[in-house]
Amino acid sequence: MKTIYIFLMFLVVVVAQIFVPAQLIFDQNKVLSKGVPYKFKTQPVDPSDPFKGKYIRLNFEANTAPSKDSTWSFGTPIYVGLGTDSLGFAKVDAISRELVEDSNFIKAKVDWYDLQDKIVHFSFPFDTFYMNETKAYDAELAYFEAQRDSLPNNTYAVVYVLHGKAVLDNVFINHVPIAEYVKKK
Amino acid sequence: MKTKVIEALPELVKNNVISEEVALKIREFYDVQQTDSPNKLFTLFGVMGALLVGLGIILIVAHNWEDFPRSLKTIFAFLPLLIGQVVAGFTILKSKSTTWREAAGTFLFFAVGSSIALVSQIYNIPGDLSTYMLTWILLCMPLVYLLKSNAVAILHLVFSTVYAVSLGYGFNGLAEVPWWYLLVLGFLLPYYFQMISRRPQAQMVSIFNWLVPLSLVLTLGAFLKENGELGYLMYIVLFGIFYNIGKLTFFKGHKLRWNGYLILGSVGTVVTLMILSFIDVWNFDRQASLFSSPEFFMAALLFCIALGILIYVDKRRGIDRSNLYHYAFVLFTILFFVGMVHGLTATILVNILVLLLGLMTIKLGTDKSHFGILNYGLLIITALIVCRFFDTDMSYIIRGLLFVGVGIGFFLSNYIMLKRRNKSVN
Repeated sequence: MKTIYIFLMFLVVVVAQIFVPAQLIFDQNKVLSKGVPYKFKTQPVDPSDPFKGKYIRLNFEANTAPSKDSTWSFGTPIYVGLGTDSLGFAKVDAISRELVEDSNFIKAKVDWYDLQDKIVHFSFPFDTFYMNETKAYDAELAYFEAQRDSLPNNTYAVVYVLHGKAVLDNVFINHVPIAEYVKKK
Repeated sequence: MKTKVIEALPELVKNNVISEEVALKIREFYDVQQTDSPNKLFTLFGVMGALLVGLGIILIVAHNWEDFPRSLKTIFAFLPLLIGQVVAGFTILKSKSTTWREAAGTFLFFAVGSSIALVSQIYNIPGDLSTYMLTWILLCMPLVYLLKSNAVAILHLVFSTVYAVSLGYGFNGLAEVPWWYLLVLGFLLPYYFQMISRRPQAQMVSIFNWLVPLSLVLTLGAFLKENGELGYLMYIVLFGIFYNIGKLTFFKGHKLRWNGYLILGSVGTVVTLMILSFIDVWNFDRQASLFSSPEFFMAALLFCIALGILIYVDKRRGIDRSNLYHYAFVLFTILFFVGMVHGLTATILVNILVLLLGLMTIKLGTDKSHFGILNYGLLIITALIVCRFFDTDMSYIIRGLLFVGVGIGFFLSNYIMLKRRNKSVN
């Protein structure tokens, strides 16, 4: 095949290779700029990814909902309707098996069903907050320190939601971004 | 080896073992190889360099430079990608050498991975390892053909395998059947066949002859979901396919160690049968739904492929009828269905099959005067005896005698063959 044709095909690949990460950025920015912010009370833990580095995994408090349906199984999708409590933190208002055409509903995955208490446990997809490799573990420690020193439930994640898509913006301890909080410590 | 041969040439000429002309030809042969090798070495260093730089970038990225503003970090995310693309584009346009193609392809491969990883990191984009790897593989897939790069082809195969294994065995959450693996592997096959047809004896082809079957062995289990017991049948049939591929005329001139299909086919068959020689393995659920499961259809498809290859090998080359390895998968398929009705009968028959395979291997080794094959056969018999120690109530005396017998067998067979070989040399 002629070199020029190969080069033209290569250009198509180049566009695709740039388009995919660019599209990811575009989608995230759209939600961050136009979405509704929710504050999720959370607890950070420090694992790591071989390619993306250190991060804190966020264990959200709002990760359960009462349900009489006992057939929920691990990994199945669940649509969670969000609302806010009197303190302004996110709470679960409703759950559904089917996609709901409501901007406040976001997709999560079922972890397990508690037969005794009739509660379904689930995980949100935005549970990963990347941090500097030296600070991820410190963030976990800072959280526990902050829990001891100040008011409880002082750690939360700000998540923007738009048309069912959720984007994690930042994590705060005592209203200070977690990275800054760790740096100050 | 090469230096030794060249050093020995004057002495061989002096003692009239070879003529001056032959000595000159041998020297010329090695000279040509020598002028070829620096290029190969340069390519290897180029690939290694690009590989290390690429991996280094991923590690630097993983540090997470949170003091930098998001926009600057985004520029850094795209920088290695753009550099890699420019170098690869230049390599294609200027029709640069193999070294350029391999190094540029390797660097670009890692640059794509690092840019997606960095963007995910900067914008906290969730996603599991398998989705990330699949996106990475799909974006780099065309580079195999556009750059004609063996290094990218190897990376493609290795990363596809890691993707299928991590998704299929549920290393990162819920296990799912990695159907995309079939597509990405299928995409690579024309390149592999092209390599085989152009330079069948090339070392790179031999590397692929190991990597492709290894990848399939690792990933086949990832396609099993509810009817795991059919996995035994699928694996034995897969190893049957490998063994018969390894016996194709194409592999005739290849050294045994470079025939990954034959070795994996043979060892895989024996190891799987060895597992099935335990009666407890046959205690699986016998449900009618097994015959309508996707696993059953996959096993049936594999069996048809295996049978097709067996018939093809037989027509082209004529299989050695006494070589059980050729059709062990057919015998086992019958045994498998016998085992579904009566586990004990299947266990006994599998033990006999392994024993026959061991004896046949010893005979093959003796016929070919090949110590490796001979000892492999003896090893099969020994392993079978060791396995039976766990689930039979033989007395210690019988067990001891059996071991002594096998030990003597090892010694005698090797000794006799060594003597025979020395005799034929003399």
